[in-house]
Amino acid sequence: MSKIKDLQRLLETKEISCVELTEKYLDNIERLNKTINAYVRVTAEEALETARKVDERIAAGEKLMPLEGIPMSLKDNISTKGIETTCCSRMLQGYYPIYDATVWETLKKQNAILLGKTNMDEFAMGSSCETSIYGVTLNPNNTDHVAGGSSGGAAASVAGNMAVFGIGSDTGGSIRQPASFCGLVGLKPTYGTVSRYGLIAYASSLDQIGPITGSVEDAAIIYDCLSSYDPKDSTSVGSRTTTHDKLNNSVKGMKIGIIDEFFDGINRDVKSSLEEAIKVYEDAGAQILHFKMPGLNAVLPVYFIIACAEASSNLGRYDGIRYGHKTDTYKDIDEMIRKTRNEGFGKEVQRRILLGTYALSSGQYDAYYKKAQNLRYSIIRDFKKIFESCDIILTPSVPVTAYKKGEALIDPIEIYMMDICTIPANIAGLPAVSVPCGFDKNKLPVGMQLIGNNFEDYKVLNAAYQFEKLTKGSYLSPEVEI
Amino acid sequence: MNYELVAGLETHVELSTKTKIFCQCTTEFGGDPNTHCCPICLGMPGTLPKLNKKVVEYAVKAGLATNCKIRNVSKMDRKNYTYPDLPKAYQISQFDQPICYDGYIKLSSGKNIRINRIHIEEDAGKLIHERGDTYIDYNRGGVPLVEIVTEPDFRSVDEVLEYLEKLRLIMKYIGVSDVKMQEGSLRCDVNISVRKKGEDRLGTRTEIKNMNSLNFIAKAMEYEFERHVDILESGGVIEQETRRYDSDLNITESMRDKEDVDDYRYFRDPDLVNIIVTEEEISKLRGELPQLPDEKMDIFINEYGLPREDAELLIKYKKIAEYFEEASRDIKNKKLVSNYILSQVFRRMPTDSGKEECAVSLPPKYFGDLISLLENKKINSSMASQALEKMLDTGKPVSEFISQKDMEGIDEGTLREICQRAVAENKEAVESYLGGKEKAFGAIIGYIMKVTKGKADPQKAGDIVKEIIKSS
Amino acid sequence: MITREEVLHIAKIAKLYVKDEEMDQLIQDMSKIIDYADAIKAVSRDSDVDFDNINNIANAFNEDLVLPSYRRDEILMNREGGENGYFLVRKSQRG
Ligand SMILES: [Mg+2]
Ligand SMILES: [Zn+2]
Repeated sequence: MSKIKDLQRLLETKEISCVELTEKYLDNIERLNKTINAYVRVTAEEALETARKVDERIAAGEKLMPLEGIPMSLKDNISTKGIETTCCSRMLQGYYPIYDATVWETLKKQNAILLGKTNMDEFAMGSSCETSIYGVTLNPNNTDHVAGGSSGGAAASVAGNMAVFGIGSDTGGSIRQPASFCGLVGLKPTYGTVSRYGLIAYASSLDQIGPITGSVEDAAIIYDCLSSYDPKDSTSVGSRTTTHDKLNNSVKGMKIGIIDEFFDGINRDVKSSLEEAIKVYEDAGAQILHFKMPGLNAVLPVYFIIACAEASSNLGRYDGIRYGHKTDTYKDIDEMIRKTRNEGFGKEVQRRILLGTYALSSGQYDAYYKKAQNLRYSIIRDFKKIFESCDIILTPSVPVTAYKKGEALIDPIEIYMMDICTIPANIAGLPAVSVPCGFDKNKLPVGMQLIGNNFEDYKVLNAAYQFEKLTKGSYLSPEVEI
Repeated sequence: MNYELVAGLETHVELSTKTKIFCQCTTEFGGDPNTHCCPICLGMPGTLPKLNKKVVEYAVKAGLATNCKIRNVSKMDRKNYTYPDLPKAYQISQFDQPICYDGYIKLSSGKNIRINRIHIEEDAGKLIHERGDTYIDYNRGGVPLVEIVTEPDFRSVDEVLEYLEKLRLIMKYIGVSDVKMQEGSLRCDVNISVRKKGEDRLGTRTEIKNMNSLNFIAKAMEYEFERHVDILESGGVIEQETRRYDSDLNITESMRDKEDVDDYRYFRDPDLVNIIVTEEEISKLRGELPQLPDEKMDIFINEYGLPREDAELLIKYKKIAEYFEEASRDIKNKKLVSNYILSQVFRRMPTDSGKEECAVSLPPKYFGDLISLLENKKINSSMASQALEKMLDTGKPVSEFISQKDMEGIDEGTLREICQRAVAENKEAVESYLGGKEKAFGAIIGYIMKVTKGKADPQKAGDIVKEIIKSS
Repeated sequence: MITREEVLHIAKIAKLYVKDEEMDQLIQDMSKIIDYADAIKAVSRDSDVDFDNINNIANAFNEDLVLPSYRRDEILMNREGGENGYFLVRKSQRG
């Protein structure tokens, strides 16, 4: 069910040239992006140039590398040398990085075809792309709804058949939530497996780069390409094992943990889809185990404090001096910096910077940041304990299906709560994948999340792949016509 | 009323690693503006720091050489503040777990200046203000520093100056820094307070920031001491604040115009990982430390019998001290070697930096050979001086300038003849000597040495002269 | 409830301005979120272990080997108005 492999077969048998393939995707973008707004920048020239190179290599009889010739997209917070990279913020409009992110370097070496940079919430702070200066990204499944966020553009580029895969980033669910909203597979790898070098930081200890794809197998292929030790990233470890070769392990005897708290207060349609999915596993011989995790209600505030604190520091560098937005009029340097930041950052970003500054400020540090770090440690321990008796944990990806346009801006706390299922994996650094497992009454996709122990990305992908196979791919987005 | 000065020092020492602390740009001083920069030291979006291993080793060595304890597990923290010379708006430093702590440096008086901590951090870029505009060069941004923080143990400017000299020398000896003050590789913040003599309580302190000359430090401290005393004497209150020293006006002035909000929001840098230094590594680094200036001083004075002043002069320049040690390896009378270095060698290196460099083409072994001849009385001092000049000019061994014949001295027959002549031509001196004036004997020997151009052995000549006088 | 003065202090060190007309809404939003975050104060802490990093990595080091720096025109590429190779911030700028 791998689109990557299917397309490479077409390329290798010369049923289609890479230039033709790329043009088809560029045509789709041309046609659909006006409505969907998945891309904030299309890199047609670069794409076609690489495509020609691939065609030459095919003509010369070279064997294709795993991602060679595959049209794809990058989230706009991944540094691309010479290609404007803005984090969808006014602050970085007109910023042209002078270096490549490690993931982009890897993809480039593989001759993957970059079609463009995708929309996201400003500095990845949001869950609907509605904080992007380029406006919301719509859900290709139903354009009354959003594609989700913050990697909404990445997901929509794949769901709208405007890319074979999208590379996104996930700090609190930003890959898995839009994947879930769009009926796609979204993988947040184990923290440290994919290099963060060149990922414009939101919250360094939580951020991970990962793929959004139309199938589990594609996610596994991409993971295997991107997960390697990067000497430029001090927190990098690389993967301990490949995943693609382990997808076919049977789920028979697999121990799947259900943490009851994750199912509290979720949407009814989501719940019934999940229950069916659990039954699929059970019928296939998996063992379902139930756990309690009373610490779960601390996860959200812990996340929020850590993310905002780190963000407040990470975003301090935008001062108008070396790159990015700079205000026109000011009376001294201090005013220059403050005005620049006021004009450059949107409201949500400013709010999180202020909250993070508060959590770290003298007098508050112990009560908030230090306490949060401490609780983070105990949350990690809780998960370790659960993984002593199960292989993976199954949860909803999001308690709801894709929001209606405009719906997400209402109440900050309520919106933050929607990330409750995805956040724990970031807090604990665990690998987690969202796979489509059903539809709600409006035919909007429902996602199931599988969480694994550290470095057991292969287990979550294996379980996800088996689910896809057992359900004959019936929840995936329809096959692309080329 | 009698006031006492109480001061503590925070000294920033630039480490002499080849590359910056978190990237691999060069640390070379100078260079055209912004030519020693990369996306990492410029803090460009998405870049990540990675710690230079040498920085840790140097910091540990600095700690060991100043009697510090070394923390086996330490971490890097972010110190958040916005200033144009700081491209990430935070300085990566160490907050609550500095790599070295609890050390001291002993002053010549025997008093210990306690070192509270030594931590690792990155330097900022350089700002040039011109007509209110700010020009920024980030070449220095990311150069590694150690910050050495003392307890408020200083009671006089002299103690501060001696401490700084010692600290500088130690850093230099252990090879972790060039400590070139004029290039800003050693910079000081001084905390000052005053109190009435005999009081225990500390007064309110002010901090004078960022001085890189011993002379300015002394002047600034004196000024600030007087200022505190004046305020207190006139019934005023000292305000705790940061001040800068204006060397043109010789005053200190408040830096409040910077509108500093002191809330650095320190927290562990999530982009960096723990630094673990094992006991094995610590002892390995300890083993790599050279003999420190204080130990050398002890040996030079107590074993080699050098006067303190001479020893200090030699030790002040590490390479000179080492040259001396090499040259005097086989010499019993070490002072002989020291004398020639302090006079003839030093004359060729008029500046401090010249001595620092100690560019002598003459191998110390050759130097020693020459002194050995002198010590064994094969040659006299004037011969030695002349030969040394030529040797220093050419780098060639003593044999090039003093022949075997020159060194052979005088055979007994000739010496006896000369002695007889000496007795004959110095009748008065002989009379005086016989009359009990020992001194007069010296004049006779002096005559012989002069005639033989110093080649005669004065001991032997003396014996012969006495023999002649007795038998006459 | 966060106070107006606290917000102003925080804004100052965060190098942001808060417009008067936005102050009330901001105080409200921030207070709501802070109240929510206060939930963690109630959670008892069962250990004092300081979280360092997910994978307990230590000693990730660069060797002390110089690599070429970037060309200055690249370094300055994203900022016009540099002079003689410096980044430049004018004292003030009128519209
Ligand atoms: Mg410091
Ligand atoms: Zn650099």
